Amino acid sequence: MNAHAAYGLLAHGLIFGAIVSLLPLGELRARAALLATGLALVAGIAPMMHGTFGAPSLTLLQLALLQLANKTPSPFGQRSALGLFIFGLLFYPTALGLGAFDPYALGYQPWMLLAALIPIAGVLWWRRQNTWLIILTIDLAGYASGLFVNLWDALFDPLLFLVAAFVVGQRLVLRVIASRLSNK
Amino acid sequence: MMQLMPKAMRWFSAILFIAALTAAFWRIPTPPAPAFVPPPAPSTSQHPIQFAAEFLPRAAESAHAASLAQLPDGRIAAAWFAGSKEGADDVAIWFSLRDKDGWRTAQPIANRESTAGGTFAHVRKIGNPVLFVEGTWLHLWYVSVAVGGWAGSSINHSVSTDAGATWFKPTKLQTSPFASISTLVRTQPIPLADGGLGLPVYHEFIAKHGEWLRLSATGQILDKTRMSHEVRTLQPALAVLDEQHALAVLRDAGPGPGKVRVTSTQDAGQTWQAGAALPIPNPNSSVALLRLKSGRLLLAGNPQNGREAILLWVSADEGKTWQASRTVETAPDGGAEFSYPALLLDRDGLIHIAYTWRRQGIKHAAFSEAWLDEVKP
Repeated sequence: MNAHAAYGLLAHGLIFGAIVSLLPLGELRARAALLATGLALVAGIAPMMHGTFGAPSLTLLQLALLQLANKTPSPFGQRSALGLFIFGLLFYPTALGLGAFDPYALGYQPWMLLAALIPIAGVLWWRRQNTWLIILTIDLAGYASGLFVNLWDALFDPLLFLVAAFVVGQRLVLRVIASRLSNK
Repeated sequence: MMQLMPKAMRWFSAILFIAALTAAFWRIPTPPAPAFVPPPAPSTSQHPIQFAAEFLPRAAESAHAASLAQLPDGRIAAAWFAGSKEGADDVAIWFSLRDKDGWRTAQPIANRESTAGGTFAHVRKIGNPVLFVEGTWLHLWYVSVAVGGWAGSSINHSVSTDAGATWFKPTKLQTSPFASISTLVRTQPIPLADGGLGLPVYHEFIAKHGEWLRLSATGQILDKTRMSHEVRTLQPALAVLDEQHALAVLRDAGPGPGKVRVTSTQDAGQTWQAGAALPIPNPNSSVALLRLKSGRLLLAGNPQNGREAILLWVSADEGKTWQASRTVETAPDGGAEFSYPALLLDRDGLIHIAYTWRRQGIKHAAFSEAWLDEVKP
């Protein structure tokens, strides 16, 4: 069995369950999430997500698991969403073909990437962002296990970028609505 | 106690991070500096003037993009994709072997379902197979698309250890950060001195350019390098000149009528330098490159006005200058398409070419170097 493909399929099932758990379902939330996870795996939703987005990062999977576990407040707040969104805006166009430099290639022998993560982890530790530090730790452990060929794939993925874009966009829309209401 | 817990957690997470970071550093592959397996010293081919052509077994209504390889027992293997039309649901990768009695009945070796089963992902269409023999292993790379057109392709890899009779489930190469999309394969890999392979691939999304994947002996991607050009290029085909030098010719992806593009490496694929376009036309079509037994280079492609002929060019000076050689096939009916040539030098020094024949089938021809040099009638 291809471990990376199996991981991608199962992770997408859980992520779909986490997305469903965001719906205002009240008491039925946990059961709906479980049902959605199972349905995603057997009804072709997870393979479709896997084919479209590729295997999700461990970062996204962990955020999905925290959502399923109903951990509040979510570590995925405005700041972190905005940071990931801006990073994605720079990363994806270049990694997907724009220009001569391919940042994704840095992830195959990621000496520089790992070195760059040290100060980031230091800041997370200093600011007592323990949840994010644990998420980063599990990302690195996933890479060290051999599940990911490229370190970027453990850290970040296009679906996570879309979720970040949604969180940022949602905030912007709410601000616009609030400013219009206050002007009336 | 309630105040100690977050503090303990904080230090615990820091220790865990250092442990994971150490493990991640330890896991980074540390391959030796890349080097090509040097080509054999030039020698004279003993074959007399000869040329023979035949069709591969018909597999379906439409066929395209053949690839050739020679098995350890001397048989020639071919793979191509065929179905009701390019991109259709029923397209499969077909495989046939040629022994002393000719080409054997073609067998499907990969389709949408088998690819989806191996990669656990939705697959909409498949195409472009590439065969390569490495010891007793027969490698197969081919592209698959989940969403959209060919620019959304990713590369799958499978292996047969019984001369193509059975194949391991395919795995997807992790080549880009978005579902590994827009990495396509068309031409054969190059063996590296460390037991790995260099796989020439290409990218079609946002920009069109060649790429180089360095694979370890176990098939893991170790590095990826872009072959950037001022113009849009596709489908690099390589010939190794020595341990560090290789030449790649590329399809000119337009717009408009183009020339065969060229790029070269002086450090076994770590960096690539675009050169001046060759004085060889390229109507946005795939080209093939082969180093002959004599040390000369052979290039197969199409004429300026389209894909209505398969032509050959020869270079005796490692690609600096080229001379038009022979026409493998031509037809004046305008609608003819002879395209996507694949070249192979067998161990006897005979040259094989397989190409798409009017999109209806795959044609194979075997010829000698002497035929290339024969005075044309």
